[in-house]
Amino acid sequence: MKRERRVRTAAYWKIAIKKELIGLLFLLPLICGIAVFSVYPILQSLYYSFFKYDMMNTFEFVGLDNYIRIFTVDFKDVSKSMYITLLYTVISIPINLTLSYSLALLLNKKTKNINVFRLLIYAPVIIPPIASSLLWVDIFSYDGIINRFLNILGIGSLNWLKSEDTALFTMIVMNLWGLGGGMILWLSAFKNIPETLYEAARIDGAGRARIIFRITVPLTTPMIFYNLLTAIIGSLQMFSSYLIASDTNGRGPNDSLYFYCVRIFNEAFSKFNMGYASALAWILFLVIGVLTVIMFKTGGWVQFGEDN
Amino acid sequence: MKVREIITQCVYYLVLVLLVIFFLFPFLFMISKSFMSDYDLIASPPLLFPQEFTIRNYFNLFDSEMIGWLGNTLYVFCFNAFFVTFSSSLSAFAFTKLDFKIKKIVFPVMMSTVMIPGIVTSIPLYVLYNNMNWRNTLFPLTIPSIFGGGAMTVFLFMQFMRGISREIDNAAKIDGAGPFRRYLQICMPLCKSIIIFQVVSVFNGVWNDYMGPIMYLDERSKYTLGLGIYYRFLQQTDLGFGANDGAKMAAGVVFSIPAAIVFFVFQKRLVDGIMIGGIKG
Repeated sequence: MKRERRVRTAAYWKIAIKKELIGLLFLLPLICGIAVFSVYPILQSLYYSFFKYDMMNTFEFVGLDNYIRIFTVDFKDVSKSMYITLLYTVISIPINLTLSYSLALLLNKKTKNINVFRLLIYAPVIIPPIASSLLWVDIFSYDGIINRFLNILGIGSLNWLKSEDTALFTMIVMNLWGLGGGMILWLSAFKNIPETLYEAARIDGAGRARIIFRITVPLTTPMIFYNLLTAIIGSLQMFSSYLIASDTNGRGPNDSLYFYCVRIFNEAFSKFNMGYASALAWILFLVIGVLTVIMFKTGGWVQFGEDN
Repeated sequence: MKVREIITQCVYYLVLVLLVIFFLFPFLFMISKSFMSDYDLIASPPLLFPQEFTIRNYFNLFDSEMIGWLGNTLYVFCFNAFFVTFSSSLSAFAFTKLDFKIKKIVFPVMMSTVMIPGIVTSIPLYVLYNNMNWRNTLFPLTIPSIFGGGAMTVFLFMQFMRGISREIDNAAKIDGAGPFRRYLQICMPLCKSIIIFQVVSVFNGVWNDYMGPIMYLDERSKYTLGLGIYYRFLQQTDLGFGANDGAKMAAGVVFSIPAAIVFFVFQKRLVDGIMIGGIKG
């Protein structure tokens, strides 16, 4: 078969260029936004990270000094923040993922009033962080209501957020009230599993546990992996101790809640060590970048593709 | 068999009710404590319910300053709601309904901005806004919204617009409607439900934001409501304003009410939106 060679006349190019220009016009706000609020600041913070910059008089090039300081002189302090952030990630994410998954399994029924229960369990997620922090500080105080329950059970009082031994643990416990958020995501993943698979399994006489472990879990594995990675990325940017321990600028008793991002925030916006804070921030950015690449490679982002 | 079924049903619902109690308990306690009198508040061991019911904690809450802060928050919300919806739908329309090459470059770039941690960009932006004398103005909280409101917003719009059939759009095209007309008169009216979702998300974003206001606003008259509550009740650095625990809880309750109302009014759309956003990120 002979294919006719398409003739690209001047008129063709005129139309094509016009199309590009119109499209560009529509994307103009977005492109400007990406340039000013993403590309510029990310490059600028890399640039700052090689400087000593306090927003006042000092702006001097120090080479890799900020990075070297992080891993030598300041490593004792910085590594504590890294350790807290990692410890929090490693403990809270498995707990949150398994519990929210179990909740979703429990509420994955097609009965009429199940939605009411779902909504009520989800409800804590909608409370603004400032309001819920007021509440957490109160109920986890030494003479707060949680300790009262513990006393009734004969366990005795804990110092919760005010002791360096229990502060991080308390934040992990507090996060349990946000499980509804994860639950909703799992429920939406379950929705995509064809009902026929369950029917077939039931006809073959599979029990409930078998159905869960042989159908539900395997079919939601990509989603599990995706949620795991986004949870890790989110957890590395943990910032809410800034509210919970607001009396210590988010550091907590003896720096026990001094998450990595809170440290960056304090270095930048209370001490105005802009260069040093940028270096800390870039280390975080690189770690998150690597995790995102893993996410890309493993196909979690396939769903982000364009249709056409 | 029948009896066994009923028992499992009962156990199932009992478990659900216990879970709901667990999840709602702290918030119900916040409401309960906000109605306690000074005497109830210092009771030892702490009370679960007020013995002397009072609404004084709520009276002490409101003053003219707070109304100003609420005004600031609402201003930021209205500004952002309009511009985020407008510019993100414009981009989404271009990505889904217009046929041109450059979008193939812009789209992946946009999606990759999702991975940039906010704290990294906040440092240069702080310097930038500072140099522009934007400290103690609401500009740092509003102006960025003119430029799209983030990749996920655009992406959610795209997901929705993909569902709109091409037929109507093509018909309009044949009738000679230009792209902007197709966007405004054909596409936008069909996007009503996603627009509502976006506006509600903007509301939640503005209402819940504390990092931006903490960074940029020092002058009392410029506070947003959240920031005012933060200084007054959480950090308690607002001198001359001693808040007892009851007032703190009352502040928490009042501050939660708009968010709760918005959620329960729009819950169907919100949960659907969370699910779309959830699967896709």
